[in-house]
Amino acid sequence: MKTHRFFTLSLIAGGLALLAGCNRTEPTSAAATAGAPGGKPTIALVVKTLNNPFFIDMQKGAEEAAKRLGVNLVVQAADREIDVERQMQIIENLIERKVAALCITPSGSREIVPVIVKANKAGIPVVIVDTRADEKALAAAGGKIATFIGSDNYDGGKLAGEFIGAALGGKGAIAVLEGIPGHETGDSRLRGFREAVAKYPGLKIVASQPANWERDQGFNVFQNILQAHPQVSGVFACSDLMALGAVEAIAAAGKTGKIVVVGFDAQPEARAAITKGTMGATVAQFAARMGSTAVENAVKLLAGEKIAEFTPVPIELIK
Amino acid sequence: MNPALTVPALALRGIRKEFPGVVALDGVDLDLWAGEVHVLLGENGAGKSTLMKIISGAVARDAGEVLLDGVPIEIRGPRHAQALGLGIIYQEFNLIPHLTAGENIFLGREPRLLAGVIDQRALVRAAQKILDELGVAIDARSVVSRLSVAQQQMVEVAKALSLNARVLMMDEPTSALTEQEIRELFATIARLKARGVALVYISHRMEELFVIGDRVTVLRDGRHVGTRPIGETTMPELVRLMVGRDLKDQFPKQTAPVGDEALRVEGLRRHGVLHDINFTLRRGEVVGLAGLMGSGRTELARAVFGADPVDGGRIFVGGHERQIGSPRAAIDLGLGFLTEDRKHQGLVLGLSVQENTCLPSVGAFSRFGVMQVAQESAATAARIAELRIKTPGPHQRVGTLSGGNQQKVVLGKWLTTEADVFIFDEPTRGIDVGAKVEIYQLINQLAARGAAVLMISSELPEILGMSDRILVMHAGRIAGEFTAAEATQEKLLAAALGRAGRHAA
Amino acid sequence: MKPREFLAHSGRQFGTLVGLFALCAVLWALTPHFLTVSNLLNVAQQTSINAVIAVGLTFVIISGGIDLSVGSLVAFSGVVTASLLQRTVPVPLALLAGLMTGLACGLVNGLLITFGRLPPFIATLGIMSVARGGSLLYTNGRPVSGFGEDFRWIATGEILRVPVPVVIMIVVYAIAHFVLRRTPFGRYLFAMGGNEEAALLSGVRVRLHKTLVYGVCGLLSALAAVMLTARLNSAQPIAGINYELDAIAATVIGGASLLGGQGSVVGTLIGALIMGVLRNGLNLLGVSSFIQQVVIGAVIILAVLLDTAFKRPKR
Repeated sequence: MKTHRFFTLSLIAGGLALLAGCNRTEPTSAAATAGAPGGKPTIALVVKTLNNPFFIDMQKGAEEAAKRLGVNLVVQAADREIDVERQMQIIENLIERKVAALCITPSGSREIVPVIVKANKAGIPVVIVDTRADEKALAAAGGKIATFIGSDNYDGGKLAGEFIGAALGGKGAIAVLEGIPGHETGDSRLRGFREAVAKYPGLKIVASQPANWERDQGFNVFQNILQAHPQVSGVFACSDLMALGAVEAIAAAGKTGKIVVVGFDAQPEARAAITKGTMGATVAQFAARMGSTAVENAVKLLAGEKIAEFTPVPIELIK
Repeated sequence: MNPALTVPALALRGIRKEFPGVVALDGVDLDLWAGEVHVLLGENGAGKSTLMKIISGAVARDAGEVLLDGVPIEIRGPRHAQALGLGIIYQEFNLIPHLTAGENIFLGREPRLLAGVIDQRALVRAAQKILDELGVAIDARSVVSRLSVAQQQMVEVAKALSLNARVLMMDEPTSALTEQEIRELFATIARLKARGVALVYISHRMEELFVIGDRVTVLRDGRHVGTRPIGETTMPELVRLMVGRDLKDQFPKQTAPVGDEALRVEGLRRHGVLHDINFTLRRGEVVGLAGLMGSGRTELARAVFGADPVDGGRIFVGGHERQIGSPRAAIDLGLGFLTEDRKHQGLVLGLSVQENTCLPSVGAFSRFGVMQVAQESAATAARIAELRIKTPGPHQRVGTLSGGNQQKVVLGKWLTTEADVFIFDEPTRGIDVGAKVEIYQLINQLAARGAAVLMISSELPEILGMSDRILVMHAGRIAGEFTAAEATQEKLLAAALGRAGRHAA
Repeated sequence: MKPREFLAHSGRQFGTLVGLFALCAVLWALTPHFLTVSNLLNVAQQTSINAVIAVGLTFVIISGGIDLSVGSLVAFSGVVTASLLQRTVPVPLALLAGLMTGLACGLVNGLLITFGRLPPFIATLGIMSVARGGSLLYTNGRPVSGFGEDFRWIATGEILRVPVPVVIMIVVYAIAHFVLRRTPFGRYLFAMGGNEEAALLSGVRVRLHKTLVYGVCGLLSALAAVMLTARLNSAQPIAGINYELDAIAATVIGGASLLGGQGSVVGTLIGALIMGVLRNGLNLLGVSSFIQQVVIGAVIILAVLLDTAFKRPKR
């Protein structure tokens, strides 16, 4: 008989318990229940991933607001930005845990819809942050969200396009690094960018390829683009991570300073690159502010206050 | 005074080892003197391997004492045993095929230069010295996979000697060697004796013991049943000690009436392996197939059984020409093939007796794609009974059975498919005397039932003792055919060497 | 079967099951949200997709092979099914086409291995990339989404108050267990994985059954794809990345040997549940996803370490 597995697995389980004890973001699990007498309500923030500085900023903003407003905050995310199924599982588990409110940055605009419906059924208000949930799909499924908090990505893309147009004097070949296709965020940025660029007849988008929001992909994809189109003099990346990858690819090709790079998100590293001159500009999307606004709105909802359907977070070009 | 002359190099006292449900060794004593070849005899399951494993540190004893030069010692594991000078050479070598002989000899103990770099020149020099002292012509720089089996064995011996082995145990060292190689091995053993190494020699080939052994110890059912100086014993006495009774006849041949043609092969060929093979098997007949290793015996069996492709020729089963493109087709036509290598080709060691016994028949034992467990159990119970397979039950893993019983399970597979043409490839290799006789009797029974048997063997006495008719192969051809009456060891050997016979090559 | 034999056959599974219960007991003690009917159904649903893929992989692993392409086949079969549904192909037809896509890709794996004589690792690694690229090409990299309620029923429906994905999982496991234990195909898998040459010489049509087992694995990946597509109401060409690793983990925790010849679907189910419960529990406890990865990795290593430690012959 192999009772040994019993011992070890209990051991594992025990270790896990310890581990869980030290890592819980709230004092006791019982207090997590919303409206528990004397307990503070728990608000959950589910972002795409926690290995992207943008979302870490968002987490910080949310934590600051939670502390200020006296609520518990749980922040969770999948390991991969694109793992929609895992994000769905996390949210299901949080619904099961009966959090008071959910703030979500969807990994997939359409894939998020079923779980929003689940939250609706459980009576948990949903605040969507940064990336929109697909409105048509949501309406079709009968789901509803309390509010959307985010920047207008379309406007951001436009700002980027206007900057590149001006920087290149209205002519030249440009390349675009897209995010994962089908994401509302990236698609809006692209749309805005393309529209702005179209105003300069001398500007031509010679390549537009997805690099999946990832830095190493940004490097590789742009390196390949440079091979095919050595004349490229400007590049717009739908996120700073991809832009920074492109910066490295430019350096590797010995073309630093000869190509205008514009990113999105205004991450600290991108700001540093702009100061250094390796990047031209980035669009600031105040992630921390999105996080804090999300929590503030959720608290208002719990207090029964009315909130707006859309809370814009300002956008700004940093150059 | 030289201790080597007054106390044994290694002495075992009252060794006991139990495995769950089995007492493998029960109070075994053994003295090994420097410079002797001590033969260890016993049927499979008698405890020889367990005893060897205790000495080599692979298994810990439950009780008893081990004395090295009269001093009690503990053997803490295989590496410790090596450090104590206790070496073992298993039937399956522990060599790394893609390394050279020298690299294998010093594996893990390579001479180093500064910074841990291997001193290749020192390694080759030291290895070559050991090989030369052994009197074998092997270049320390040759890659092991390119060496012959006998040469690989010598590399193993050299490896043991490089560890200053004082006791060297050899498990069935001649089982894969040619006559010439055996003579060379014996010469090496003589040199080791002269150097004062105590040798333990395990073999099922009784004739060898009288050539090479000094003393012989017989184990039976985990007990020590006797030790004799080799000059004071006889083969019948040793057999009696091993089996616990007299074996009347080593080859209990019975002749069955010969019936219709069961299998006929015409012009079978495979490029570079088989050339124009013609022969016929009849019902009730046991046909021996002799030949040197590499003469194409096993290749012929595999070709007939559909395991290897052929380039031409016709096969008739029961008088009808058949296409045998796969073992499945051969089995469906009533052929059964008992491979020479049970562990790698005959059995799935991780599966049970029942699962192995029924493996070729599960299709037949299924209704609407569902296995009929009752049928399987019944068939297995029948095989266990009629073949007297010693197993705790039908669900026992086959890997835990002794060699003889494993061979019976292989035979059981083909009895379950109701085969009537049997190809035995080395049916008694690695099987002890008592079980050998049982296998021979089973072959007799098959013939008596009207089955046709083709028996491939390297042991000429077995071929001569059991066959009605004998075919000899040489270089991929049938080089001779003899009746049992006219065949002699000399004639068979001459044909096998390609020097005589009816269809001389 | 006598009790002793039963234990010898099932001891490994029993041990894993005790581990699962121990884990549940700890979570029950730590959080009131764990041991509720709705949460347990959640766990079962969340496990179902990995569990269905893991059955196919268990078959392959028992036969002595490996299939790295399952994750990509999930994506490929998913987008095929989804795009047909969007073209208003009737649901049963679209499902059938999706399943056949998985089956066909699996059979290609099998043929590459048997007739192409490629090592399973290489063949399925190749198909993994081909199928992934194929799904991206087919969809231009965009998710395909928005299906009718009848299709979504596969994820949202209930039969006797049990969610449909859980029912699918149970049915698949029942069939797989039966196939493995009571059909010649199942027996042949063990025989081929244990000793391919001996199986061949015992008349097992090794090539045929090997090809089939990869087909079955592909088919089950496609079934998982359908479940995933219905669950997310969307099929993504990048879905299923790393799913092969989760499935291998479940199989290995469940006691299968990557050397072949050993394993059971019951063990795999328990293995998949252990992984599902761990993830669910860690979420409920609010443990960060980074630590979750560490814990799951540790469980895999420990399970196998223990196995080898206790299988080693006693000295």
